[in-house]
Amino acid sequence: MADAGPLSLAVVDDDEAVRTALRRLLRAMGHDVRVFASAEECEADAPDVDCLIVDLRLPGLNGFELRERLRLRGSLIPIVFITGDGGPSPSDAAAHAGTPTVAKPFSESDLIAAITQAVSSDANVQ
Amino acid sequence: MPASTNRQLAVRLAVGRALGRARDLDDVYSAALDTLAECLDVSRASVLLFDPDGVMRFKAWRNLSSEYRAAVQGHSPWSSDSLDAEPMLVSDVTREPSLEAYLPVFAREGIAALGFIPLVSLGRVIGKFMLYYAAPHTFEDEEVELIGVIAAAVAFAVERGRMQEGSRRSDSIPGYEPNASVIGPWEWEVSPDTSAEHHNGLPSGRLRQVRQCDIESDRDCLKIVGLDGRLLYVNPAGLAQLGVEDPRALLGRRWVELWEEKDREVVEDAIARAKAGTIGRFQRPTTTPAGVMKWWDVAVMPIVDADGAVVQLKAVSRDVSAQLRVEAFQAGQHQVLEMIATGAPLAQVLTLLVHVIEDQCDRMPCQVLLLDADGVHVRLGAAPSLPEEFSSRFDGQPLGPHVGACGIVMQTGRTVIVADIEREAQWPDLRDAALSIGLRACWSAPILSPKKKVLGSFAMFSSAARGPCREELRLLETAADLAGAAIDHHRSQEALRQSEERSRAILRAIPDWMFVHSEDGVYLDCHVKNPGALLVPPETFLGKSMRDILPPSLAEVFERAFERARASNEPERIEYSLDLQHERRFYEACIVRCDSDKLLSIVRDISDRKHAELDAAAQRQELAHLNRVLILAEQSGALAHELSQPLAAILANAQAARHLLDRTPLDLDELRETLDDVIKSDKRAGMVIHRLRELLKKSNAVLQPLDLNEVTREVLDLTHSDLLLRRMPITTALSPGIPPVLGDRVQLQQVILNLVINACDAMSNVEPAERELKLTTVADEECVQIAISDRGVGIPEGQLDTVFDPFVTHRPQGLGLGLAISRSIVVAHHGRIQAENNADRGATFRCFLPLASVVAGAVVGLESVVAMMPPG
Repeated sequence: MADAGPLSLAVVDDDEAVRTALRRLLRAMGHDVRVFASAEECEADAPDVDCLIVDLRLPGLNGFELRERLRLRGSLIPIVFITGDGGPSPSDAAAHAGTPTVAKPFSESDLIAAITQAVSSDANVQ
Repeated sequence: MPASTNRQLAVRLAVGRALGRARDLDDVYSAALDTLAECLDVSRASVLLFDPDGVMRFKAWRNLSSEYRAAVQGHSPWSSDSLDAEPMLVSDVTREPSLEAYLPVFAREGIAALGFIPLVSLGRVIGKFMLYYAAPHTFEDEEVELIGVIAAAVAFAVERGRMQEGSRRSDSIPGYEPNASVIGPWEWEVSPDTSAEHHNGLPSGRLRQVRQCDIESDRDCLKIVGLDGRLLYVNPAGLAQLGVEDPRALLGRRWVELWEEKDREVVEDAIARAKAGTIGRFQRPTTTPAGVMKWWDVAVMPIVDADGAVVQLKAVSRDVSAQLRVEAFQAGQHQVLEMIATGAPLAQVLTLLVHVIEDQCDRMPCQVLLLDADGVHVRLGAAPSLPEEFSSRFDGQPLGPHVGACGIVMQTGRTVIVADIEREAQWPDLRDAALSIGLRACWSAPILSPKKKVLGSFAMFSSAARGPCREELRLLETAADLAGAAIDHHRSQEALRQSEERSRAILRAIPDWMFVHSEDGVYLDCHVKNPGALLVPPETFLGKSMRDILPPSLAEVFERAFERARASNEPERIEYSLDLQHERRFYEACIVRCDSDKLLSIVRDISDRKHAELDAAAQRQELAHLNRVLILAEQSGALAHELSQPLAAILANAQAARHLLDRTPLDLDELRETLDDVIKSDKRAGMVIHRLRELLKKSNAVLQPLDLNEVTREVLDLTHSDLLLRRMPITTALSPGIPPVLGDRVQLQQVILNLVINACDAMSNVEPAERELKLTTVADEECVQIAISDRGVGIPEGQLDTVFDPFVTHRPQGLGLGLAISRSIVVAHHGRIQAENNADRGATFRCFLPLASVVAGAVVGLESVVAMMPPG
């Protein structure tokens, strides 16, 4: 996926430091990046991107609920969960339902691997 | 020692001495003025008496002009024989309307204040003495009492003096001067006829050269005695005094036979002297045929014929019983007063007093009864001449019929005269008992304190059914007055003794140490039951300064406390500790001023309490730590999140930076910004670790002024992600600018943390939309309040009181320690915590913590003193 060319991505995280750092990293890697501080902002905007990178623990709607809403609306947009700790367990297969998850702090390769997996598995689903 | 009682006794003694020396009325007046000058410091005074016409006249004075005396002569606030007269004390003559007419006179004489003191005998005014002051004068209570004492003594002496004056008029036989040292021989013409032919027992024609009328009217007992010692003549006064109606019962009898057997030698000796041409003198008593004992002052002198030969003897006997009695009375009174003053037991003083009075009234038995301080029970004071089975009847009785007339006296404070006991029907038992021992009359007067409180009664019993004569009544009053002085003095001494006894008992009973210091900190005295527990033994520190004995820092603390105690006159408390041998002991000292120039420090060893407190504090800290560890264990997920956020940002930024470095040209601004963000996030992670470490650390409390708003925000920072995850919406209403509280940061964080977790738990089953966690701070003049309010299930009815008890919990994972520990922390901060259910739903927990400015003295004082102690 390293040679997959520029992607359009969106990051949903309430933590400004994390949001800013991820935007900087992904842009430095040549991707197009939009950021949202909450699930509600993201849902309202409904960005047409290649992959959503969503923090699981969010004020208001959390990552699972955002995915649920998108899926209910028929959107099959690929999603990667990022998580600190203490949130829903990454091992909870039912909850993750095949959505790739990376635990903070993560390296860029972990993140790219997860994005690749999400995009390709979504493609498989399609 | 009550000063007023002592001063009164001193005045009584002075008056007694001065009046005791008086030989006549002029002496009495003079003694009265001397006493006033000596005891009241009044240099201008006068004595005035009513004359027979009822006009008040000057009798004696000091420093008064004749013009003044003439101008006020006859003025008196009372008429002759007024009853119940009270002193009239005029502090300022210009303010006394009744004296307005005399103002010019006072002004000329320089008199600004006056005292009119009635001289009262048997309740009636006989005269007054006056005190004059050049400036307005306030009469103190004590001074008024002393004036009363002097007035009573002067009135008594004046009455005595008047009586004696009446009986003394009669030194009318020329040549008889009882007090003269040399008496010349008596000129006498002897008739050869020695046989009868009497006229009134007087040999006629033989007394031409002696003034017959003088002899016959003389008040002394005058006898002519033959050389053979037989009585030739007795004058009418003599017959009356001896109680003999017919002179023939005496004439022809040997004179010496009229005397007691044991006294006859003295009489014979006097006769022998007279026969030898000189004068024989003696004083001896006889008992008259009527049974009355009389003392006689006798002079036997020769009667010579024209050639100077002794032919007959003349004996002049003067009845000096009254005079001796007066002297004995004065001496007796003096002795009683001396006994009182020297602190003799009350029973002895009263017994002597009764004897002195009995000597004055032909041995009528007297009795002193005392009224207990309870005002109800009666005690026998003294009755040495009454049979014990009679006098003991009164002892311990309550006032009432068993106490008879004396009971009425003590109830009413008035004199009661029972002239005939036989006719008393009110108390038949007592009547019969009195009659059975020959008592027929009882005269009883109240014994009063200087403040007119009834102390008891003084009673005289007569074997004849009669009332008292004036003299006896006066005696009764004097006796009651002296008894009052004795009892009053005794009671005040007793009160003093008991108070000292109490103080000693208290000293014995209390375990505290007491040190008396001079103002500059020198140990003057100490009371220590266990000297072994002291830093150094008493002999080492007595007489030394605190600075030489105590560690310098502690001496300083004491000196500052001394200063405060001196300045405020209030007890000053300090706590301190000392390292003794192998242990640290804690003390509490209370410092008060005493004796105006000394300081008393009462020191208590509070080590046990202090150690218990320290143990409790240590235990509390252990539990608090356990509580914090448990909280953090529960919160580990949230805490990991708090750390992983900055770490994720750091890693992302670092990897971004590497990509940025590969670009040309280098975007240095972007790189710098990236590195700044790395630093920022690292610091953020460091802060989380720091707080964690603080909470997990076992450390002693560090008291410091804290802004409770800041502490609250720190807690919210720490719990932010957890609250987020658990969907607990938070609102805060933190009053800006609240004053600081004194406390330990971690402990107060812990309290708020516990309350926040508690509130979240209470709302865990509530719909997220209905949840609300609200933190509020407010301050008043004494404390800051933080309230943590939830909209949860509330506290079950009946558990509001137990919610802070340990191991009371509704959380499956909790130990039930959170609220208990929170309370113990708040209490250790001198605050309080309470729980209440909200009106609509949920509960509110409130902590009240005192302002730093309020508790600073109490808490910091101890800490700083302990800190100053040298390490053990």
